[in-house]
Order: sequence, then structure tokens, then C-alpha cells
Amino acid sequence: MFFGARARQRGTRAPLALGAGLAGLTVVGPALAGAPPKVGPPMQTGPENTLGGLSDSEIWGAIRHEAFGIATSQRPEDGVLIDADGWWWTELRMPSGPLVQGAIWFLLIVILAILLFAIVRGRIRLEGGRAGIRIPRFSLTQRVVHWTVAALFIIMALSGLVILFGRPLLIPVFGHGATSVMASAAMQAHNLMGPVFAVSILTLFATFLPGNLPSQDDIGWILKGGGLFGGHPHAGRYNAGEKAWFWTATLAGVVLSVSGILMLFPDNLAPWVAELAYGFPRARDLLHLAEIGHVVAAVIMIGFALGHIYLGTYGNEGAFEGMVDGTVDLNWAREHHDLWAGEMSGGSAGTGAAAEPAE
Amino acid sequence: MTASDAPKRMDRQGDAPDTARVAAALEGFLAEFGPRASIYLNACVRCGLCAEACHFYLETGEAKYVPIGKVKPFEDAYHRTTGAFAWLMRAVGMAPRLTAAELEAWEELIYDSCNLCGRCTEVCPMGIDIAELVAEARHGMYHAGFVPDRLAEITRNAESRHSPFGTPEDFRRTIHAIEGEFGVSLPMDKPKADLLLTLAPGDLEEHHRSVVGLARILDHLGVDWTLSSDAFEATNFGYLSGNRELQAELTVRLVDKAKEIGASTILLPECGHAWTAARWELSRWYDGPLEGLRIRHIVEYLAEAVESGKLRFRQVRETATFHDPCQQIRRGGMERAARVVLAALGFDLRELPDHGETAFCCGGGGGVLSNARAEPLRLRAFELKRRQVEETGAHRFVTSCGQCRLSFDRGRAATGWDKAVESLIEIAAENLVEDTRDAG
Amino acid sequence: MSIIEFLEGPAWKASAAAFLIFAGWRLVVILTAGRRHPGAEPIGSPLLGAVGTTLRHFVPRPAFWRRPKVWFVSLAGYAFHLGLFAVLLFAAPHVAFIRDHILGLEWAALPRWGFIVAAEFAFAGLLTLWVRRFVDPVVRLVSRPDDHIAAGLTFLVMLTGCMALGEQSVALRAIHLGLAELWLVYFPFSSLMHTFTWVFSRAVTGAEAGRRGVHW
Repeated sequence: MFFGARARQRGTRAPLALGAGLAGLTVVGPALAGAPPKVGPPMQTGPENTLGGLSDSEIWGAIRHEAFGIATSQRPEDGVLIDADGWWWTELRMPSGPLVQGAIWFLLIVILAILLFAIVRGRIRLEGGRAGIRIPRFSLTQRVVHWTVAALFIIMALSGLVILFGRPLLIPVFGHGATSVMASAAMQAHNLMGPVFAVSILTLFATFLPGNLPSQDDIGWILKGGGLFGGHPHAGRYNAGEKAWFWTATLAGVVLSVSGILMLFPDNLAPWVAELAYGFPRARDLLHLAEIGHVVAAVIMIGFALGHIYLGTYGNEGAFEGMVDGTVDLNWAREHHDLWAGEMSGGSAGTGAAAEPAE
Repeated sequence: MTASDAPKRMDRQGDAPDTARVAAALEGFLAEFGPRASIYLNACVRCGLCAEACHFYLETGEAKYVPIGKVKPFEDAYHRTTGAFAWLMRAVGMAPRLTAAELEAWEELIYDSCNLCGRCTEVCPMGIDIAELVAEARHGMYHAGFVPDRLAEITRNAESRHSPFGTPEDFRRTIHAIEGEFGVSLPMDKPKADLLLTLAPGDLEEHHRSVVGLARILDHLGVDWTLSSDAFEATNFGYLSGNRELQAELTVRLVDKAKEIGASTILLPECGHAWTAARWELSRWYDGPLEGLRIRHIVEYLAEAVESGKLRFRQVRETATFHDPCQQIRRGGMERAARVVLAALGFDLRELPDHGETAFCCGGGGGVLSNARAEPLRLRAFELKRRQVEETGAHRFVTSCGQCRLSFDRGRAATGWDKAVESLIEIAAENLVEDTRDAG
Repeated sequence: MSIIEFLEGPAWKASAAAFLIFAGWRLVVILTAGRRHPGAEPIGSPLLGAVGTTLRHFVPRPAFWRRPKVWFVSLAGYAFHLGLFAVLLFAAPHVAFIRDHILGLEWAALPRWGFIVAAEFAFAGLLTLWVRRFVDPVVRLVSRPDDHIAAGLTFLVMLTGCMALGEQSVALRAIHLGLAELWLVYFPFSSLMHTFTWVFSRAVTGAEAGRRGVHW
């Protein structure tokens, strides 16, 4: 009763204008005209399209019960109720399909790998202790941008995972009712924060680009496995691992932003982009690709982020403070970024004499 | 990383136990919690923009110099005693607790690193007058005996010897010496006069030409004026130190003397905080405007004489830049007056990058110049000013405040800067046109 | 009584009453504190000064334009506040709530896209300003626990409000409403009171500036 209270207050008239995914299609039929349906049109005073994705299942139920459609749109694909070309996508994307299952396994493996690494390698401590000398690492702008992106990323990742894993993971635990509430909340937050996240990740790219271009030192760093299993290979301001994370976040961010924006505007933007891409407005094909790209990029980014969070906090003694205070201990810089430490401390002292103790 | 300029150890006066100091501080703070302080302390949202206006923060980059942070003990006391929910906070044990250690730790922030210049007010989204809050916080600090020793000593001199400069006898002797040195006559202790001229210790110690200049200008204007050996002190170290009782005494002394000799005007010399204390803080001790008595500053006095055509100057025709003394300009309303005089002197004014009401302090205001241990910090502020002065490329460097000049002179001596800073009044006096036909 | 009925009925009335009573009390205490000095003989008009300073401080003055933080705080501050006001007063569910529970009258609501854009600006502003509280040594030094609680509560109210946008779950609406009521009760005790005090603060400063013939 609790959850039904709001729906009961609403009007019950057909025809019912469908939500974003099926714009232009008006459904009327016996299933809706008969017994009072659970879902009605949005409140007159309320925002448009407030029914969102949840009501789609109700609508498809009605369609299965012989509802018929009248397409008011003249676009070629809008008269098609069931898109046969989309089966591959349906099978790929279904809860037991490779996309969702692959994502679950990928993230599980990443978490296990981090746990294993934490147990085997333990915390990477400052070998020489602290020098007590602070050197600036991240500017205030970089820190604000980083943590803004981080906060938005957490919101986007959690809400995205609720949407992605709702059926296979949440329904079995919480049941349909609670999961639908979580999914609705997650979708709204995800859609609203998405554009903000897109802008923030662009800002991240701009503020962290200096120092993140590939260099020759990266090869040695990679060959030594980043020193994750002992020893500290040479590294400049950012090591190859950090650069990989920067570029992964950037590329994934671009894929997420572009695909996300397409999915935000399936009726307006997607057909227009599809026309550019295919020569005719097959928005559904484009949106299938967008969704798959969105999931793949998101899962890779989340997996990488888990490693980044571990290494940036507990995993590396002395790393976290760089992103909070903006400064790091000189010994931390010498052990993890010896070449950069040399530049930073040798700049005033002359011929890199200050960098020598790192040997 | 550079070492901090902060003093290693704070000063304390007297030997009162810590509990008595805290109680005394609270009493001093409480006397200041009027509607104004109350509104300010309930409006701050901690955006930190005030730091962006403060020369001490800008030059050192040290977060602790963020202006609103300087009044923390004052603010804590407010929320413990006076705030709307002080009773509730005390009941649940969440009220901030004032300690002697905190007061002592804040001594540097309240005295050494605030010139009471008020620039932070201009950037504050809430328009909070933090300088006023710092001045009010000093009241409690003074009572608690947490004042920089040197400032406390000068304040004691003002209290016991009449003036930081010295006794009335010292004053008479110095005035006679100046008369002899410059061959002028300086009227003293006339029983009746229309104008009571006051002076600052800097004038009597170093800037004798300013005293002569003031006399020359007043004589030229044909004013019936006098100095008074028992009311000569323009500065108010009660205001600077937080000794409100002394502040009242010093202000009332000037007013009483002026009334006694039937003066219509008390004229303040080239001094900044004297103007704030006598002109704006006067109403703390008097319930309304003074009957038939005006408090004037030499800068506005001069500008008025220029505009009414009573004064004309030989044209200097040189480029000059002008340092705006905070208490005269930003907090004193004489931005236009100073420029009227500069223009009348024929200066080609090259304004500082930050000038007028948004100018930076010399670093010595608010008692900081008298606070010897604050010198390293003061020199940082001086550096900022020096850069700006050099940026103008102006030939002459002029200001209208003796304290600012002393502050610059100390900075120049410490850094070997050869740019002399000149007095507006002295330049005006030296270029007076006795016969109006000579002008041009 | 269901939870939502409780939140829309007694809980709403109680939190609104707490807000009015305690905020009112705090304003009274602020404005009646201590001694008031009569003020020196004025050069200019204290009234005009009060108006001038109140208006002038809406925009940072050019002397501070060289400082990036002034830009950042001003732009993020406006993004947050304007976005918040737009959402607070013109979101369709809020218009309906104000009609049903507060004023009994309604006005035009924002279209959905307008709501989304306003909310996005509000989130971007609040988030960046709040993040700065942690990582800028200056603001971190002077931030009180209350500054974080106020920002966090406001953020949660906004986030749950957006999560309830689907308008199909009473539970989500209840969470949003419950947090909004908590926010209302917290408001009078916190720095959220700057909602009211800002204008007094600028005005008293402006009155003194007007008296002195300057432009603070």
C-alpha cells in the first residue's frame, strides 16, 4: 500500500503517451481501457516524462495483450514495434548474457586481484622514512577537479551498477519492489549527473594533461612491472601506470559521455546522429552500440578506479596526502618519482645534487 | 619551503593566572558584542575569500593569515556567551571553550598580522568588516595581558607619560628645538584659539619638517591656531592596543581641550589611525555630534582650502605615485581630497596598480609598526608595495601618513631600496605660493 | 498513518514550526545584542551606503579579478545558489507542495529540461565548493564542522530530490521529504542562517561606509 499511494491518485485516461524510448507512438487498447491500470499519464502540473523506464514493462504487457499502435511519426523505424535486427543486442544485454555476466566477472577478478596484491605485497612503505620536507605535487585546481570528478564518479558508478546489475544481482536479494525503487532512483540520478560528469572529466583531462604524455621512461617502468613487486623503477612526474589510468579515464570518459548523451536524447539527438552515421535515421542501431560502449567503458573505468583507489590510499604510504594537501614528502617523491623529484629539488640547488640520495 | 616569519614565543603582561586571563578576555570581548559584531559573526560562511585581499596571506601564502581566522577566540567567546543558542551549546557541552593557550596562540594573528586595513571587507561576499572585529578582539586580548610587549610598552607610555613620545615637558622642549632649527614660531598653549593642532610622535621624533609645514599652511590661511602641551597627542594607542579605557581618555582629552580654548576645529596631522580613532570612533564616547566642534584631517582641510582658492602652489610638474593610507582613504573617505591636493601641486599622478579604496597597506598600520617582533612579516607586506611602486615608474613617491612613511623608511633600510617616500603636507608647504600672482 | 502521511502531516508542520521559531529567535538575538553606538557625524548617507554595499557585493570588484579563487568562488557560488533557487521555487513538485502545504497558491513551474539544467548547475557549484573545503588549506583551516554538515545535508536533500524525479515511488519521495525536514530543523542552528544574515551584514557595513563617504 505504501508504494501504491502515489499511483492511486493519478488520472487513468487512455490513450497513453509512451516514454522516451518510443516517442511518437500512441497506444490504446483493451488492456488499458478496461480495469483501472496501475499506471496513468503524468500529472498535468508535473514535469514531462516522469514515468521513465519503469512503466515500460507495464506498457509492453499491454502490447502483448493485443494493444495496437498508431504511429504519428513519419520516421521509417517508428512504425516497427519489434525490431528483429535487435535480437543480437537483446541476447547480448540480457541479465544472463555475456555483457552483464562479463562485467560481473571482470569486476570480481579485479577486486580479488587487489585483495591478493594487498595480502602478498602489503602496504608499500616509505623505505627511507620521511624526509620532513614537503614538495608541491598537485595544485589546488587539480585537487578540486580530481575530487569533484571522484565524487561524481562514485555517484555515476553506483547508480550505473544498480541499473546494470539490478536484474541479476539486486532482484534476487531485495525483491522486485525495492529493486524497482532503487533502479528508478539510480536512473534519475545517473541521467541528471551525467552531463556534469562529462564536463568534469573534460576538465580533468585539461588539468592533468601536462606530464601525462608518454615518454621513454615508461618502457623501463613497464618492464619492471612498475615496481609493484619490489624495487622502484625510474619515473617522472607520473609513472606509466598513472599515465595508463589518465588515458583510460580520458578515453572511457569520452566514450561514456558521447554514448551517454546519445542515450539521454534518444528522440532528438540519436536519429540525427544516426542519419549522419548511416545515411538514414536508424537511431536504434546507434543506441544499441551506445549502450554496449557505455557498459564496456564504464566497467573498465570502474575496475581501473578500484586499483587506483587502493594504490592512492592504503596501498602507498604517503600518496594520499598529495591529493589532499597538495604536497608530498621528499622521500616519497624520490622513491616513486625519482626523476621528477630531481627536477623539483634540483631546480634551485643546481646540478641535481639533491636527487643523488635516491641512488 | 620558507621558514615562518611568526615569532617563536608570545608575550604576556602581568602575572595573572590563566583563569583570570580568560575571564578578563571574556569581559573585554563581551563589551564588544553589539549588533554589528553579532551580525558579522552570524553571517560568515567560511568561503575564505578574505585571504585573497590580505597582503599577509598573499605575500606568505600561509593559510593561518586568512583574516576571518584571526578572530577565532572572539568568535568562540561569542558563541559561548552571547549567541542565540549559547545556552543550548553550554547545556550539551558543545560550547567552544576559551583557553589562555588559545588566546596566547592568537596574539600573533590579532596583533602582528592585521593592520586593521579593511581590504578584506571589500572582497567579502557578506561585506563583513573583519578589521572592526579584530579591533574589538584586541579589547579582550589587552585585558587578558596578551599583547606584544613593545606595543604594550608604548601604550603604557601613552597612559602614564601623556604620550608615547613623552611628557608635556618633552613636548615643549622639542617644539622649541624645532622653532630654533627652522626659524619658525609655533604657538603653544594659547588660552584661546580657533584651531587646536595635534601631532603624532613620528612628527616630533623624525618628521620635523611636517610640523613646520603644518604651521606654515595654517599661518598662510590666517588661522588662529595653537598647540597644546597637555593635549598634543593625535595618535591613540588605546585604539591600537585594545585598551578601550585609554582610547576614551585620549579622545576625551582632545575634545575637552578644544572646548576649553574655544576651538571650533581639532586638526589631525598626517596620521591614519588618529583619524579613525578621533573622527569615527568618537561616537563610542559621545552620544551625538559635538556641539560647535569639528574634527578635521589635514588632507581634507588642505583640499578644501585648495578648492576654495585660498591655497595655490608652485607647479611641481613631475610624475608621482601616491600611497593611499588605509585609515585615511579606504576607511576615511579622503581619496578624492588627496588627489585634489596632488593635482593642485601639478603632479602627474601615476596610480599604483592597487590604489584608492583598494590600495594595499604599507604593512605598518594597526600598531604593527610599533610591534618590533612583527618586523619580518611587515617586510613581506612592504615587498608587495615596493613592487607596485616600481611598476608605476613614477619619479616621486608621496603619501600623507607619517606612520606609513616610517614604515616605508624601515622597509627601505632593511632592503636597501633607494626610493624616498615624501610627505604630501611637506611638499604642499614647500610649494606654497605666498603671492597668488606667482602661481602657474 | 503511513510514513508519507506522517512526513507530509505532523512531521512537516513540526519541522516548519521549528524552522520559523528557532530562526526567528536567532535573528532577534542577533539584532538586539549588546550596545549600539550612535555613529559619528556622517559625511555621506548611511542609508545610501547600506544600499550601495548590499548591491556592490553581488559582484567582486575589479581589484580582485586577478585572483582566480575570487572567480571560482563567485561563479560556483552563483551556479549553486541560482540553481538551487530555481529548483526550490520552480520545480513542478515543489510548486505543487507549496500550493498544497504552504501558500495555497501556485505559479508556473519550470519545464523538465529547465529543472535538469538548474539542478546540474546547483550540483556542480555545491560539489566543487564543498570539495574545496577539504583541499584548500585556507578554507580547511577556518571550516567548522557545521560548514560540512550544512553542505552535506544540502547535498543529500538535492540528491534525493533528483532521485525522486521518477515520481513513481512514494519511498523516494518520503526520503527526500524527510531529509528536507531534517534540513529545515538544522537550518536555524547552522551557517545556513546566512540566507537571512547576509543582507544585514552588508547593510551594517554599508551604513558605516556611507557615513564615512567610502565604498566598502
